[in-house]
Amino acid sequence: MTSDAVSAGGDPRRLLADTRTFARRVRVAQRVTWLPLLVLGVVTFGAILVQAVSRPVTTGCRTTDAGEICKVWNPVLESYWLVAMVAAYVVIAGGYLRVARARGLGSRVRPYVIAGVAAAVLMFTLIAAGAGRWIVPDPHDLLNPSTSILVLFRLLTASGGIGLALLVLAWLERNVALLLFALGYLAVVLVPINFGWGSHWSGKSEGAAQLIVNGLVLLLAGAGFALAQRLRASR
Amino acid sequence: MTGPVDTPAPESHPVTGLDDVVHQRVRLGILTIAHEARRVEFGFLRTELGLTGGNLSQHLAVLETAGLVGIEKGYEGKRGRTWISLTTAGDAALAAEIARLKQLIARVETTVPRQGEAS
Repeated sequence: MTSDAVSAGGDPRRLLADTRTFARRVRVAQRVTWLPLLVLGVVTFGAILVQAVSRPVTTGCRTTDAGEICKVWNPVLESYWLVAMVAAYVVIAGGYLRVARARGLGSRVRPYVIAGVAAAVLMFTLIAAGAGRWIVPDPHDLLNPSTSILVLFRLLTASGGIGLALLVLAWLERNVALLLFALGYLAVVLVPINFGWGSHWSGKSEGAAQLIVNGLVLLLAGAGFALAQRLRASR
Repeated sequence: MTGPVDTPAPESHPVTGLDDVVHQRVRLGILTIAHEARRVEFGFLRTELGLTGGNLSQHLAVLETAGLVGIEKGYEGKRGRTWISLTTAGDAALAAEIARLKQLIARVETTVPRQGEAS
């Protein structure tokens, strides 16, 4: 085959259409979308175990007109999230680079990894510093938080950080399916689904139900994206 | 003595700005793929563009001579691999070519009468 066989004859519309096709094919070939979903799903399930064996610590209590306000956080669990998330993004970056190299391509995963690690560090710092008291200075709002404050607090968690970083990955990959998944995942994180299960569990297991849902959503989506990629490759 | 007088340049036809090195499907394809992939292996380009190795090498030589791509040869185990990446000039040439193609299409769409209006 020679270049004549693929000549566009200088037709600008066809040349431009070809560049778009080539660009799309490269981006599809670079995708390893199932990997971050699988790894972050495993990290989320790991958090359930860590939460079960660790205790929250209450410090800095002060009495206000509205009632007593304390800083409550679980240093073991939050440290787990920080270390596990950084390790997860290192694994994801390595996986993306390895797969892209094997396919004969470079990778554009770096901004996603930077966003993910930055989100993990930011969430850890905010929670460790007890930033809720600065973000919502009015004690009445803290003791009886409105829906918008609850949504904000749920966003400023490790699970929220995972969702935000996935939006960055969807943009990098120009991946509409991943964008829709990331928005759906964020909806699950921000507007918790309550099936009634876990409501009668002990205080130690509180929040485990939400982590199970988040982890399952990530793992199922990872399996779905892996299957879709396999089907596409076999065509 | 008077200085140079700024006169508006007549609007040139987009065709006059086309770069012969870039305005060709295969070479435009190489630049596009290298731009999207950051760096691309010879085998991927050959498969995507449907070319023989010799033919692709000729196109790469033209682009390398023009300073639009960099070619790096190495080994992975015992297997030789050739990686192609865009230079800064290549990046600019690709952007300019795409802009000119869009201009050309826009010009054609505004000057060619639609069907039914010609009569």
